[in-house]
Amino acid sequence: MDQTVSSLTPTGIVVNIQHFCTNDGPGIRTTVFLKGCGNRCKWCCNPETIHPKPELAYNRSKCIGAKACGRCLQAPAPEGAFYVIADTDDRVHVNWDLVSDAETEVASLCPSEAIHLFGEVMTVDQVLEEVEQDAAFYRESGGGITLSGGECLLQPAFSATLLMEAHRRGINTAIETAGNVPWAFMERVLPHVDTVLHDHKLTDPERHKKWIGVDNKRILANYKRAYEAYPDKQFIARTPVIPGVNDGEEHIRSVLAFIAPYKNVIDYQLLPYHRYGEAKYGFLGRVYELEDFERPTPESLARLQSIIDEAFGRTSPTGA
Amino acid sequence: MATGMQRVAINCGGGYVPGLDKAVIGAVLAAAELGCDVVGIRDGYDGLLLPEQYGGEGLIKLDPRAVERLDGSGGSILGAGARTDPFRVRRVNSEDMVEELDRSDELMKIIRAEKIDAVISIVGGSALTGAHAFSVAWKLSRKGLRTVCIPKSVENDIGATALSFGYNSALSYTTDTLERIRSGARDVRRIAVVEVLGYHAGWLALQAGMAACADAVLIPEIPYDLRKVAERLRRNEEAGRSPALIVVAEGAEPAAGTERIGPKDALRKSLAPLSDPRFGEGARVIERSGMAGQAVALDLQRLTNRETVPFSLGQLIRTGMPTAVDCQLGLGYGAAAVRAVVEGHSEVMVALEPPALKLLPLAEAVNNVRTIPADSEFLRIARTLGISLGD
Repeated sequence: MDQTVSSLTPTGIVVNIQHFCTNDGPGIRTTVFLKGCGNRCKWCCNPETIHPKPELAYNRSKCIGAKACGRCLQAPAPEGAFYVIADTDDRVHVNWDLVSDAETEVASLCPSEAIHLFGEVMTVDQVLEEVEQDAAFYRESGGGITLSGGECLLQPAFSATLLMEAHRRGINTAIETAGNVPWAFMERVLPHVDTVLHDHKLTDPERHKKWIGVDNKRILANYKRAYEAYPDKQFIARTPVIPGVNDGEEHIRSVLAFIAPYKNVIDYQLLPYHRYGEAKYGFLGRVYELEDFERPTPESLARLQSIIDEAFGRTSPTGA
Repeated sequence: MATGMQRVAINCGGGYVPGLDKAVIGAVLAAAELGCDVVGIRDGYDGLLLPEQYGGEGLIKLDPRAVERLDGSGGSILGAGARTDPFRVRRVNSEDMVEELDRSDELMKIIRAEKIDAVISIVGGSALTGAHAFSVAWKLSRKGLRTVCIPKSVENDIGATALSFGYNSALSYTTDTLERIRSGARDVRRIAVVEVLGYHAGWLALQAGMAACADAVLIPEIPYDLRKVAERLRRNEEAGRSPALIVVAEGAEPAAGTERIGPKDALRKSLAPLSDPRFGEGARVIERSGMAGQAVALDLQRLTNRETVPFSLGQLIRTGMPTAVDCQLGLGYGAAAVRAVVEGHSEVMVALEPPALKLLPLAEAVNNVRTIPADSEFLRIARTLGISLGD
């Protein structure tokens, strides 16, 4: 395999590059969020990463009004996509049905950035240029770059090239994956990954389908194959804990049983459900379906954590 | 002009209104008279796109016999549960990944294969789902589908028509309920705060509130200050008028600088289908709206010496028997839509411009929200009646 990056290297669609992340792998990391996901988790906190292409978003609170601006109401904006309701404040509304993927250039019309884009085409060099700004922190903390999403493995050529080049520059690499990709994609990227953070969201295939949109048969098959094919990699299993959905002991014990035979699965972490992404649903004209879901209580998290700690032979913070 | 026997399909966009079937009946009777075949598409376009959900019977043959026992109460023979956007159909692909697919071209082929010449879509209905059905109809018409739309809305917020069908029934039922609530609240010296539908437009709140002699009506068009409402209630009481009823449209917002307690966005809340775990996983009951009214009730209780009681009529008013006005309007809209098809029109909406039924280009109807203008005579009358509008 060619170990250098040429000008022909693939580009990727990046939603965000987030610095100083401490929960996305070892040390202080820079997390690169890629666009596109094959799951539809109802609690998704990054809805802007689901759709595979750049897409328009709209933050109405930033709109300065049709009278002061009104550029989005005129061509070349798509007909009917933006409108004002008479006798109310003159900030623009969006008809999300009339905004299409092909018309993302309309974002450039908006001077206040009320209309903006989620997703930007970037090269490997562009991403690494930003990632390398924090190289000193990586060295001190054992951190590096983490690819997340969306599902970063759905851009396998870009992800593989980016991580390979990061390695070449001495940067530690990690990915966050939900595992619902063809094995060929995984096989292409994993050789360039040091730490694989991978989700076990639900155990039961039917419930997995209900909450995520697909069952988990391929996901589990991929994980098993990856554990066996890459014994030198570090795997960290994770579960986003959603009260009432997967916060039962049964799921935790099931995941522990699944990973138990594999010594390269070095940890199992719980990610408490949060609602930080809720506002973004509004920006995309979508409805957040978990409006009333509560965060898991510290007590329930501690109970589940103690099961994991026991399995890993650790003493839990609660002393259990 | 189109000639010969035409096959017309009729469907309903998301959301229901009283008397929905009256438009279907109107279309069927007119078609029989004008020499058209009529079929109904079940649940929007689901009947065509997902026929397996209906045992292969996603189309319903409609003729005068099929509709003779329909009375227009409660929903529609066609179903108004459309949840599939032909331009964005969710599926699990061959790679076992979820994706949203544009199946509009496939839908057009199915329509042609079924030898359907034109589609009459009954659209409108709520701030989100109604606008969505309208937009889908418009987009399909721009793909070449001959489309005639019929406006329905319990909020009367479709700007291109003077009256959407369903509104008069909703208004009547809302007024009746408000009267009952007001008399009960008055007797126990409490103030009932009743939230009604109306996310962008306050017609239902204003007209029903006026009819039921409300003390205050809060609408989306006028940001409210509850201190002014409380002051108005105090003055009314001094004049011998016991405050008993506040009507709040779900889209009413406090004026800048005044605070609201509680959740802010009733509409988004109402569309969250997973909101109540008591009814089993994935089959949760939606707590439809009510937040705007609750917030006002809480704040008003702090500003007055009265106990307030929040109510939410919400979606209750969408069903029931239609009024005579809506029966006429539904039948008229249905018949006018078929006539438009027979006369060769497309990409139009049937609209009431009293006393005439007219055809308007869909482009003029989409995104055209009918709000209450600041100089509305209704607002003047309300103020003259001593009804606080929160300003």
